[in-house]
This record gives sequence, C-alpha cells and structure tokens, in this order.
Amino acid sequence: MEALNKEHERLCKKSNLSQSISDIQKTIDTLVTARNTIEKDSNATSLTVAKLQGSVKQSFDKINDDLKDVHSGLGKYVKALDKKFKDRPIPTSEYDALSSHPSLINRAIAMHLLREGQFSVASTFIREATANPPRVDSNTEPADGSIGLPNDLGMGPLKSESLQELFAEMYYILHELRDKKNLLPAIEWAKAHSATLEIRGSNLEFDLSRLQFIWLFMGGDQGNGQHGSFSGPQKALDYARCEFGRFQERYLREIQQLGAALAYEPNLQQSPYRLVFHNDHAWEEVATSFTREFCSLLGLSADSPLYIAATAGAIALPTLLKLQYIMKEKKTEWTTQNELPVEIPLPPSYHFHSIFVCPVSKEQTTDQNPPMRMPCGHVVAQESLMRLSKGSKFKCPYCPRESHPRDAKKVFL
Amino acid sequence: MAELTSIKLNAESHLLLDQSLLRLPYELLRKNFKTSQRLVEREREHILSAIKSTASASVSLSSTAQTQASLDSMITRMQGLKRKLEVLHEEEKAIHEHSRKRIQHLQALYDIPSLVDVKYDEWSRVRLNRLLVDYLLRSGYGDSALALAQEKHIEDLVDVDVFVQCHKIEESLRQGRTQECLLWCSENKQALKKMNSSLEFEVRLQQFIELVRSGQIGETKKLLEATQHARKYLIPHKDTQSKEIHRSAGLLAFAPDTQVEPYKSMYSRSRWDFIAQLFVKTHHELLSLPVRPLLHIALSAGLSALKTPACHSAYASSSSNASSSTTTVCPICSTELNELARNVPYAHHTKSYVESDPMVLPNGRIYGRDRLLDMSRKVGLGEKQVKDPTTGEIFHVDSMEKVFIS
Repeated sequence: MEALNKEHERLCKKSNLSQSISDIQKTIDTLVTARNTIEKDSNATSLTVAKLQGSVKQSFDKINDDLKDVHSGLGKYVKALDKKFKDRPIPTSEYDALSSHPSLINRAIAMHLLREGQFSVASTFIREATANPPRVDSNTEPADGSIGLPNDLGMGPLKSESLQELFAEMYYILHELRDKKNLLPAIEWAKAHSATLEIRGSNLEFDLSRLQFIWLFMGGDQGNGQHGSFSGPQKALDYARCEFGRFQERYLREIQQLGAALAYEPNLQQSPYRLVFHNDHAWEEVATSFTREFCSLLGLSADSPLYIAATAGAIALPTLLKLQYIMKEKKTEWTTQNELPVEIPLPPSYHFHSIFVCPVSKEQTTDQNPPMRMPCGHVVAQESLMRLSKGSKFKCPYCPRESHPRDAKKVFL
Repeated sequence: MAELTSIKLNAESHLLLDQSLLRLPYELLRKNFKTSQRLVEREREHILSAIKSTASASVSLSSTAQTQASLDSMITRMQGLKRKLEVLHEEEKAIHEHSRKRIQHLQALYDIPSLVDVKYDEWSRVRLNRLLVDYLLRSGYGDSALALAQEKHIEDLVDVDVFVQCHKIEESLRQGRTQECLLWCSENKQALKKMNSSLEFEVRLQQFIELVRSGQIGETKKLLEATQHARKYLIPHKDTQSKEIHRSAGLLAFAPDTQVEPYKSMYSRSRWDFIAQLFVKTHHELLSLPVRPLLHIALSAGLSALKTPACHSAYASSSSNASSSTTTVCPICSTELNELARNVPYAHHTKSYVESDPMVLPNGRIYGRDRLLDMSRKVGLGEKQVKDPTTGEIFHVDSMEKVFIS
C-alpha cells in the first residue's frame, strides 16, 4: 500500500500536464516575440523566421519531454498497482448465481433502502426500476419470469408504499427516542402490539415504561417549561399508579424495586438501586430492542440482510477464490452441488441457525435426512441411524446403551 | 481457537472487490494522457510545416504582412492547444484527487484489526453503498445511483459519469443508432485495435444489414449503397473476418423475411441487442471493469457462506425464527434474500454449532436450557412450566430431557 501511495504522490506532484502547459506558453511567447520583431523591422523577416524554425522545434521537443515524464510516471504507478493486486484477478462470474434473478435483486435493494431510512433514494429507485424493468441477459434463461411483477418490484404482501410508511414510523419513533428522549411514541406502539409482544416473550413494553418512570424520577420532565408543583419522584409515582397496574403479574419484582427506590430518593447514589437509575446504556439498549421487535413483527431481520450478506461475501471471497484456483489446477470439480466444498470461517455473530453435523456420517442434516435422538440422548442423522441399526436393536456409537431405531425421535434444532 | 482466526482481518486478501476502484481512474488518466499527446503531436506537425513554408515564402519576396498573418494564425493555434491542455489538466487533477481519496479509503482497512471492530462495520457499510451504486449504474438506474452516492457522500468513490456515458451509448444501440458507438470507437481506436476488438466491424456489419434490409423492401438504390459501404468498411477486416464478410455478401440474395440461417438471424432485431451487449463488454474490458456487477459476486458468495439447510426447510428452525424475541431472524430467511438464496449451495460445516446445554421438549424441539427457562420466566409462567418459544406450547419442566450433541 505504501509503494502505491508514494507513486500516486509522485503522480500528483510531478507527472502531470502543468509542465507541458507552461512550455506551450513559452512557445507562444517565442512566436509572439518573433511577430513583434517583424512588425518593427520588416527587413529582419526572413532571418527571424529562419531562426524561429529551430527554436520552435526545440520547444516542441521540450514539450514532448514533459509528456514523456508523465508517461513514465503513469508507468511506474501502474506497476505499483499491478504489484498490489498481483495474483488477484478481478473476481469472475463463476459464483454468479444471481444474474438470472435481476428483479429479485432489485426487490432486495428497494427493501434495503427503505429499511435504512433512505426514502428519497428508494422512491427514485422504485420509479426507475419500474419504468425500466431489468433485462435478463439473452444467454441466461429467464428463470424468474413469474416473479417480475411490474408494479411493486414483486414485494408480494409488503407493498413498497406501505413498507415505506412502516419504516417511516419506525424512524420517527427511533428519532424521538434517541434524540429527544421522548418515549411516548414508542410506548404507544408497544401498547398497540402488546398482545403479539407478550406471546413473543418480549419485555419491550415494560422496559419502555420503566425507562419512562426513571426518566420522570430523575427530573427529565423539568426542562420543558412546565414548572409544575410536582417534583420528579412525585411525577414518577403518578405515572406508575396509572401505568404499572397491567404489568403487576409479570414484573412484580421489578416494580417493587422501582417503588422501593423512592425511599432512597435523597441519596440514590449510595443506594442499592444506583445501577437501575444510572444506566447510560439503557436508552441505546431499548432502541436496539425496539428495532429488533419492529422488524421481527414484519418477518424481517434486524440488520439489513443485504449488508450482512455482502459483508459475509467479502469475508468468504478469498477462500472461495483459492478454492477456484486449486480446482482449476487439479482439474477437479466439486461433487456436492448443493453444499460448498470448503468451510468458511465467519465471525460468531454471523451464525444464526444451529448447525448439526452428524458425528457418524459427518454430514449436515437436512429435511430429507433429519437429526434423530436416541433414547440415551445422543443424536445422529437418520441415514446413519438406518445404516448402524439395519432395522434391529443396536448399540449407540457413543455410549453402551442399546436401543431400537423405532424409539429414536426426530428433533428440530 | 477457531474463533480467533475467524475474526482476524487480513486486509491484503480482503481487497478483492476493490481493484477496479483504482484501475478505472488509471485507465482514465491514461486516456487523458493519450489525448494530450495526440493533440501536441498534431500541432507540432502543423506548426513546424507552417513555419517551414513561411520561411521559404519570406525568402521569396512576399510581404511582411503575409508572414505576420501566418505567425498570427500559428499563435492562435498554439493558444487553442494550450486551452485544450488546460482542460485536460483540470480533468487530470480531478482524477488524481479521486485516486487519492480511494487510496485513503483502502488504506483505512489496513488500520482495522478485526472483523468485529466497529470500524470494520462502518467500512463495510461504505463498501456496500459502493457496490450498490455500481449495481445501479450497470443496470442503467443513473438517477438512483447519483442520489445514493450523494446521500452517502461517496461521490469520490464511484464513477457515475463513466457509467452514464456507457449506458447512453448502449441505449442508442438498442434503439438502432450507430453514430454514438462509432464515435466512441474512433476515440478509442488504438486501444481497441490492441485488444483485437471486433466491435467496430460488428457495428459496420449491422449498418450494412440495415442498408440491405431497406434495399430489399423497395429502395433498390440502397443495395448499391450497401455494396459501397461493404467495400469501404468491411473489406479492410478481411483478414480476421472473412467468414462474416462472405455471409454478408450472401445476405444480398435473401429477403428480410427469410427462414434460412444464418441470414434469418442476421436480419433479426435481436442482433442490435447483441451489439449493445458487445459494446458494454468491450467498454468494461477497456476500463478494467469486471463484467458482472460486483454486488452479484459479493452477494452470491455471501449467500452461500450464510445459508444453512434450515433456511429453506419446511420446519421452522428452533434456533432462529421470527416468532420469538429471544432469536434474531436469519438474513437468509428474511424476505429480502430468501427467494434469491434458494438456488445457491449452502455453507459447509464440519462441526456442530448449537446452544449450550441443549434440552429437547416432548415435541422434538431443541433449545438451550438457559434460553428456555429465561423466556418462560419472562412470560410469567409458573415455576414448573416451560413454553416452547416457537410453537407456544407449554410443558412441564420435568418433561424436557437432555440431548447430547457431539
């Protein structure tokens, strides 16, 4: 990288056209001088012009030299570039399974833009993409003719306008929450979706209300001009009386905690409740959990899938290219069409599903070959189970217990 | 240990998708330089010969005024040259600035130690936006590309103008116009020759076909024009394209509605699309741009790396689904990518990867013990009860059993 930087520096400073331009100016000056000489003294005409021949030729040589400098600078720069990207060809299309699905990609992009809150870009894009639906290359078969719905980029039940409204609502709530410390819109939303959230086992609604209580308690309400007669704790207590009733059953302990903290109001810093009231991350945590719940209710992941997939792709590419190279060298092809032939090391945060690799066959389990749990608690793939048992009682490969294959139960990871 | 290697960031090998970021400005610089070289060369020849003839004229008793006039015209031409070069110089400066910003952007990656660093997250987001702009430009969605680049302040990292120009020519070809493309060919004559491009020949052949077409449907004099056109533009390629030239001669004998191959496909409208594609391919090759959008490359690798057999399974996965707040939705299962990922291979794993302390419920679903108990407590169940976060069924604590995943 340094070598490249240096060459580029040189290119900017030295190898540019400025020198040539100043030499052209000099040539012009020579010509002008000659012209003026002739104007003054017509007898000197032929002599001056004769002289001019030589000097103009010289100055053009000079200009060409200047250009040569630029040329050599460019040459050095491209050498540095080549060295930098040596052995790294521009990735080819061998892993390109996507060209035949341009409308699906467009849909993914539109949803990405919407969920990132870039509404104006998104609407420009939807307009352009609808006006010029993607052309499927003639050399790839139009595999998804049925999916390319013209109006909505095929977003199915999630119409782009309604999706935009939903995400606009999400960004409004987040903006109020993060920047204005105003929890009310978020609480409204949580209340409206209370039942769903409860089924999901989410604490969001209570977390929001609790934060509102703390915010009132700490005097967060004082700033906005209402110099009421109530102090922070008083307001918090009032709020709790109105709102906490419906949380009693599930969050009794937490509510008791908040109530007890009232008694410590003058010296909260030294009280056991210090951490509950002075948690700087609380707002960010609530914002994150809100985003996650909001997206999950739409069946979407919390982070943009496009972002995660593109990043994972960049991480995976070096390994895949190496594989491609090796396969070319050895003239082999990979035999398992629906599984990659190499393991790709991704950071733990990129693991979403549990993975079960059968300890006997070393294969991942699938719908056709699901994981089976034997009565002893050990799990193997169904095919392995059949092979081991041959239909009769057999010993578990991992412990001494014997069991019959019909007692094994299919499990879901 | 595996986790240590999986979060290490090797910047050197990580920069696979970013090569054209620097290659393209270089190609532009080179083109810029070639143009200035050509301009200078042309003026040099002209001025030197002009001076020479002026010199010989001035000896043979012509008037001083004449000499002055020819000097004046030389000065004007040189000033014109200077102006042109100044424009090129400005362009050059702009490209230098772009390259500088891009080198900085790539350099930043070298200062990031690991893939879980916040800075890597930021960098990768910039990269995604770059890839998106690249994709939008290649698909011909120039307005969206520009809007995205502006909103994200990455104008220096993307090449909107180059692609917009390319798309214009491509569209003109699809509409049956050759003018723009031929102009581009003549601008890049040397480079095209070097890479043995057949683009110009194909365009000329198309012009010939169109002449024959209109000749066959009435305007007979067009047939003559076609022959002249072939003589002028096709015959010079006889060494490399003799087969095509023979065919083009044969075309004269067939009507546009013929069913005989290869003449049927030569008359076909889709030949324009072929030429448009050929142009785009040649254009990208000339500027060292990958033929496929980089987004495709990154995405298809990423989809495979993330995909598991569970992503398109008929059964809801216990470890990642939308119905419980204890899990996040997997990006491949999310609506955006699910259909797209259907045809890519899934990732290879040699080790099982499950939640710690896995327990199986009577319905066969496996969860980590802590997650299950936590969740059951949160929904306010009695002490002896657990709730399946996926199906919502409620079981007695004693009915869950240990599973051993090796």
